[in-house]
Amino acid sequence: MAKHWFWWFMTMACVVWYSTVTIYVAIKGGADIRHMLARLDATRAREAKEEREG
Amino acid sequence: MTNFNWLLDGSIVGVYLLATMAAGLMVRKYVGKVEHFLVAGREMDVYLGIASLAATEFGIVTCMYTAQNGYEKGFAGATPGILMALAMAAVGLTGFVIKPLRDSGVMTIPELFEKKFGPRIRWAAGVVIVLGGLLNMGVFLRTGGQFLVLVSGLDVKYLEIMMTALLVGVAVYTILGGMLSVLVTDYLQFIVMSAGLIVVTILILMNVGWENLVNSVETHYGAGGFNPFINPTMGWQYVLFNLMLNTAAVLTWQTIIVRVLAAKDTDTGRKVYTRTSFFFVCRFLIPGVWGIAALASLGPVANSLEAMPRYLGTAVPPGLMGLLIAAMLAADMSTDSSYMLTWGSVIYNDIMAPFRKTRWSEKRGLFWNRSIIAFIGVFLLLYGLWYPLKGDLWTYLGVTGTIYLASISVLLIACCYWRRANSWGAGAAILISAVIPITYLVMEQLPSTANLAKTIGPYYSGIATYLLSGAAMVVGSLLKPQAGINLQARIA
Repeated sequence: MAKHWFWWFMTMACVVWYSTVTIYVAIKGGADIRHMLARLDATRAREAKEEREG
Repeated sequence: MTNFNWLLDGSIVGVYLLATMAAGLMVRKYVGKVEHFLVAGREMDVYLGIASLAATEFGIVTCMYTAQNGYEKGFAGATPGILMALAMAAVGLTGFVIKPLRDSGVMTIPELFEKKFGPRIRWAAGVVIVLGGLLNMGVFLRTGGQFLVLVSGLDVKYLEIMMTALLVGVAVYTILGGMLSVLVTDYLQFIVMSAGLIVVTILILMNVGWENLVNSVETHYGAGGFNPFINPTMGWQYVLFNLMLNTAAVLTWQTIIVRVLAAKDTDTGRKVYTRTSFFFVCRFLIPGVWGIAALASLGPVANSLEAMPRYLGTAVPPGLMGLLIAAMLAADMSTDSSYMLTWGSVIYNDIMAPFRKTRWSEKRGLFWNRSIIAFIGVFLLLYGLWYPLKGDLWTYLGVTGTIYLASISVLLIACCYWRRANSWGAGAAILISAVIPITYLVMEQLPSTANLAKTIGPYYSGIATYLLSGAAMVVGSLLKPQAGINLQARIA
């Protein structure tokens, strides 16, 4: 481990960072999808209204 | 014989496939305009962007070539990943190129070029991007199929049928939902893919052990297995070529840059870059460790590309095998969908631009975008099944990618920051960076020139492409005696 500390550190950093980010992004990304679809819905409704009103 | 259990592992894979298809098809109702289809209405936020970028940039093909790098070069094989992470972080932090690009409000890079270099350069850049991108993507299917067949123990005669079915499934939701389907399925695929990658890596580290991995690299490659500069198959030229390649990819690779273009604003695009940067180390090092584990367990094998899947087929227990295959399918599907959509977007937006003199209706635009994706799917099936891959996979991808990465990165930097840059320089840069890699690929295939190609090697030819492309831009622009048009003024 001491001899090749750089690669040991990088490998461990990958496992720890990736595990943490996966959980975090899984939670926050789900909220992002809900907000994105809500915004698209709102835009669609607004455009349809504008079209009806000429 | 592998540990794949059709009932247990097959069920896990089946549930994953059904969930992905359902999610991909569910969002198709939100697609009403070409902008929704190509850039998700520019509504993508940071975390969805991170999930989507990470899922797209990790396919089975990525896992195969990075594991091959680990198997053939040891830990030093992860060098391209470290270089890419550094480039990604630097670009995200400074906003270099991506800020003016996103601020311009374009949907593709060639669209920006038209503002500075004119419509002909936009068209030529579109052709080069699609040519380089599709040649690159052409090997994805067969390589992905090789992995799945070897890990699951399926008869190799089913490879074509299996990959065709997978591609058709991906094409269906991409054609119907465009970028919105890509983002939502990427999110699911990121979770499944990451879970599989992390669990299998921990299993390998526990079963094989760190000391065994290190000893195996030391035995086979000595100090060169840890240091790319003293590895006889790498050296400074490998590091320099990969630095140029990865920086250019970060700036211009269509599937990466589309996340900036689909982001809700420039800051979001920059955050996606910065926060995803370390993923690119994981992208090379995690499968690299799998490749090293294959080296430690199997020793030398005839085909280094197949070493990792052969090893995993016997090392991963039933149950986890289902998660591994679902993870790899997730990785492959997210890559295929995003690649088909983004190359298709360039064909529609830029190559077909001369045929859209009058404004097309949204309905007509969507029809053509969907048809183009279907066409790309057919091309992938045909090309992917008959191109004979020679040399290592990462180098093939690097050489074909360079066809456009060199010129488009030079054009983009010049477009954003050099007032004097003009169409002569842009045309010369495109020509040079297409001619050198294509000549190299042809030389590699012809028996009479194969040895010369081997002597030159892919790294020197790659470095020459980047340098000469930059020189062509400078010389060409200076030869045309007119001032360039300030992009910022155009944007304003």
